[in-house]
Amino acid sequence: MPPLARRIAWSLLAFAALSWLPLAVSEYHTHVFIISLYYVILAASWNLLAGYAGQFSLAHHTFAGIGAYTSALLSLYAGVPILVGIGAGVVVAAIVGYGLGTLCLRMRAIYLALATWAFAESVRLLVAVEYPITRGDQGLKTALFFGTAQPTPYYYLFLGLTLVSLLVIWQIVHSRVGAYLQAIRDDEEAATVMGLDTFKWKRAAFVISAVFAAVAGGFQGHYIGLLSPTPMKFNEMAMIIIMVIAGGFRTFSGPALGAVFIELLSEELRAWGEIRMVLFAVLVIVVARAYPAGLLGLCVAAGKRLARLAPGLTPLLTARRPED
Amino acid sequence: MARLEVEHVAAGYVEGIDILGDITLRVEPGSITGVIGPNGAGKSTLLKTIFGFLRPHRGRITLDGREINALAPYEIKRLGISYVPQGANIFPQLTVEENLQLGAWVIKQDRARVAGRLESAYTAFPRLREKRRRRATTLSGGEAKMLSLAKELVTEPTLLLVDEPSAGLAPRIVEQVYAQLLSVREQGVTILLVDQNINKAVQVSNYLYMIERGEVRREGPRRDFVDQLHAIVRDALLGA
Repeated sequence: MPPLARRIAWSLLAFAALSWLPLAVSEYHTHVFIISLYYVILAASWNLLAGYAGQFSLAHHTFAGIGAYTSALLSLYAGVPILVGIGAGVVVAAIVGYGLGTLCLRMRAIYLALATWAFAESVRLLVAVEYPITRGDQGLKTALFFGTAQPTPYYYLFLGLTLVSLLVIWQIVHSRVGAYLQAIRDDEEAATVMGLDTFKWKRAAFVISAVFAAVAGGFQGHYIGLLSPTPMKFNEMAMIIIMVIAGGFRTFSGPALGAVFIELLSEELRAWGEIRMVLFAVLVIVVARAYPAGLLGLCVAAGKRLARLAPGLTPLLTARRPED
Repeated sequence: MARLEVEHVAAGYVEGIDILGDITLRVEPGSITGVIGPNGAGKSTLLKTIFGFLRPHRGRITLDGREINALAPYEIKRLGISYVPQGANIFPQLTVEENLQLGAWVIKQDRARVAGRLESAYTAFPRLREKRRRRATTLSGGEAKMLSLAKELVTEPTLLLVDEPSAGLAPRIVEQVYAQLLSVREQGVTILLVDQNINKAVQVSNYLYMIERGEVRREGPRRDFVDQLHAIVRDALLGA
């Protein structure tokens, strides 16, 4: 089979399997998959910023929160339709991202991380303290997107959102802009010599990733039906980092793989409570030190080994390029 | 009118400490202007200041009469100035060809034109054509230098700032690098060359400045320098 046909065949197969999933599993598991997809968007978009552009922001979860709260508050107080609310959330996140980027992106590495972390905590505290408006820790009820809490339609909604997000991120990474961002990451001075306005491109990456987070956060808010400042805690950011590192930092499909894997694992180990975070932390340290290619690297290596054992499978297994 | 004029410029990395004390120099169109001097004289600082990495604390820098003091590097690049820094400005994980394309696409997005520029870069640097599909990390020091020069040339600069092109290269490669600079000048590109290799700089430059501790100590056309080369080299080495 020519590579394109093989790709299409694989995509159709994967799509069929993903579409069929909620019919085969319980509502609870459908819910877990929806949350996984939500994290796929967050992880992939954070990887665009931190992995490809090299800007290690610790406020990615905050932009999801900004998207969710903007939409919920607008629909509660102004009665705007949900989609308009989500759109507004995205615009607010983009504006805030632009402002925060302008302030922080001249800082290097650790200072950028600290500044964005401080911003994230400030926003969380603001949401918690302004309870007359946000209801703080009591939680803010949101309108349900499909008017029902039954997860199946949300699963398809998130499946669509995730596919579109991944496609857009793929396009960005493999375009001229993606090359600029990676050039800036690898050697900012050389990128400047090349004639790049590095600050402008870093800020663009910051805004783009904030937009993805706000889209995911906005829709997720109208699925869960209740917002609280808790997911704006650092734990949530840590989860995103864990997913990206475990899946494969700076790879395209690694973060998506890591998001689904970690979310499923996290659900399986729910009985362990907060000990899970310790386990994940150890996992991240081990992967980062010993096997930076992550789960994706593991899958690629396994695929190659399988191909050697069963040569007949080779044309099926080598459809992907190593960088994917 | 000179292409580039630097007038009484003082500059440095922190406020209040001037690495360049008071530099005045002119770069005439179509020429190679050499700036020589001992280590720590401020030669690299001069190029960084012209290219906008540093803002002059005092003084004026003009390109074709237009003041460029306050411009950022990407704006200066758009005016047709290219800067080849001392270390290689290439991306080791990309192939030779990708490096050249990256250089070209920042300025121009016209694919046919980019292809044409790449072709002429390969004609000028045949070694790069042989290794076009190889990652830049596999290049030797001389090839990497050629690539960083070629990468700037594909953006069609009219003024090239070159910092220590021969640093760390084998003598045979050094000859090739300077031959390239001469052929670039033949194509009408003006060059400001900063160099510690006084012999080579004097050989290729039309006009020279010798700077020391951030100030111009001596200037003149090549023949003035050729005559006193021995004395100059000795002074530079001893830092007198």
